[in-house]
Amino acid sequence: MIWQIDLSVLSLIVLCGFATIMVKDLLSAAIIFGAYSFLMCLLWTEMGAVDVAFTEASVGAGVSTILFIAAAYQTTRIVKPRKSGRIFAKIVALAASVAMGLVLLAAQTNFPGFADPESPASLHLSPYYITQTLADTAVPNMVTSVLADYRGFDTMFETAVIFTAGLAVIAILRRVKHIDRCELPDPYTISAGSQDNIIRFVSRQLVPFMQLFALYVVAHGHHSPGGGFQGGVILGASFILLAITYDIQLVQQRMNEKWNILLGNIGVLIYASIGFICLLLGANFLDYSMLSKILPATDPVMARSHGMLGIEIGVAIAVMAIVVTIYLNLASNGKLDKGL
Amino acid sequence: MNSVIIFLIVTGLILFLATTVGLLRFPDFYSRMHAAGKGDTLSSLLMLGGLALYEFHEINVATLLVGAKILLIAVFIFMASPTATHAITDAGYESGVKPWQKEKTASEDEG
Repeated sequence: MIWQIDLSVLSLIVLCGFATIMVKDLLSAAIIFGAYSFLMCLLWTEMGAVDVAFTEASVGAGVSTILFIAAAYQTTRIVKPRKSGRIFAKIVALAASVAMGLVLLAAQTNFPGFADPESPASLHLSPYYITQTLADTAVPNMVTSVLADYRGFDTMFETAVIFTAGLAVIAILRRVKHIDRCELPDPYTISAGSQDNIIRFVSRQLVPFMQLFALYVVAHGHHSPGGGFQGGVILGASFILLAITYDIQLVQQRMNEKWNILLGNIGVLIYASIGFICLLLGANFLDYSMLSKILPATDPVMARSHGMLGIEIGVAIAVMAIVVTIYLNLASNGKLDKGL
Repeated sequence: MNSVIIFLIVTGLILFLATTVGLLRFPDFYSRMHAAGKGDTLSSLLMLGGLALYEFHEINVATLLVGAKILLIAVFIFMASPTATHAITDAGYESGVKPWQKEKTASEDEG
C-alpha cells in the first residue's frame, strides 16, 4: 500500500464517476466508464486483490464497455434533456433515499469497525482460509478455493444469474422475423467499422492467442489469478473482436445461435451436475471430496481440486456463450444479421 | 546491467511524457493519434524491455518465466497498439474528420 498512489487513483476514479454521469454523449460516457473500470482495476491490484482486478479488467473495462457501445449503436447517442416537472415525485424520491441512507447509517454502528483486527471475520474466518486452504484442497490460490469450493453455492447462482441475463436479452431483443417497427431515426449514430485489411489481419492473428490465453487462465486459476469467469469473458471477447472487425455473419458461421444457447445451458449444467454427483455419492451438494470415489488415483484433497477445475470449466463455457449472445443481440438489434 | 535497465525505463517514461504533451498540444485529431500511437507503443516497449531485463538479474526458471511473459506482453502490444491507433484514425477518416491545415481552416480544427 502506497497511499500517494491510492489517493491519486481514487481521486481519478471519483472524477471519472462524475464525468460518466455528467457527459451527455453516451459513447463518451461508455468510454469514460471503461477508464473508470480500468482505474478500479489498478486500485485493486495495488491493494493486492489481483483476482478481482483481473475480473474488473476483463469484464468491466473490456466487455461491458463494448456492450454499452453496442447498445448506444442500436439506440441513440445523445441524451435528450428531460422536461423539468414532476416536482412532487422528485421530492418523494429524495426523501426516500435520505431516509434509507439514515437507516443504513444507523445500522452501520452495529458492525465491527473497518478493518478491525478484533472482528469475528478477521479472528476466525480469514485465518482459517489462510492457513488451512492448502491442506484442505491442495489449491495454492485461496481466492479460487473460497470462490469455487467453500462458497460454491454463491458461484453457482452467480453463473445462473449470468445465464438468466442472457435469456432475458434473447427474450427481449431477439427477433426471428424482420419486423422493423422500433427503428429509431437518428442523426447521431456511431458509424460501423470500415472493412480494413490491416485491422482484419491483425485481429485474425490475435484471436488464437487470445483463446489460448483464455484456456490458460481457466486451467491455471488454481495457481495464479484467474478462473472460469475471467477465462470465459476472454474467450467471449475473442469472438466479439471477430464480430467487430469482420461481421456478425462470420461469428455465426463459427458458432451459431443454437450452439451458443446450447453451450450456455451446458456450462450451467456442468456446474450443477458436479454438485449432484457429489449428492449421489453420499456427500453434501458441491462437496467435491467425495468425487475421489469415481476419479481414479485421487485422495479426497485432490478430488476437491479436480472438482473446482470441473466447475471452472462449466463457468467458462457458460460465460463465453452468454457474453457472445448478449453482444450479438445488442449489436444487431436482435436480428443477428449485421451490426457494429 | 542496472544502468541499461535504468536507461530503458527512464527513456520510456520521457517518451510517455512526450506522448502526453503531444496528445494535448497537437492541433487536430490525426496528429494527436500520431503522437498517441507512436509514443505509446515505443515507450511501453522500452519500459517492458527494462522490466524484463530486471527480471533476468538472477537466472533461474521462475525469473525466466516471468521475463518471457513480459516479453510476450511486449510482442502483443507491438501488434495491437498500432493497429488500434490505425483503427481509430480510420474510423475518424470514415466519419469525415477534416485534417488540420495551416491558416486556412484553423478555426474548425476540432473534429
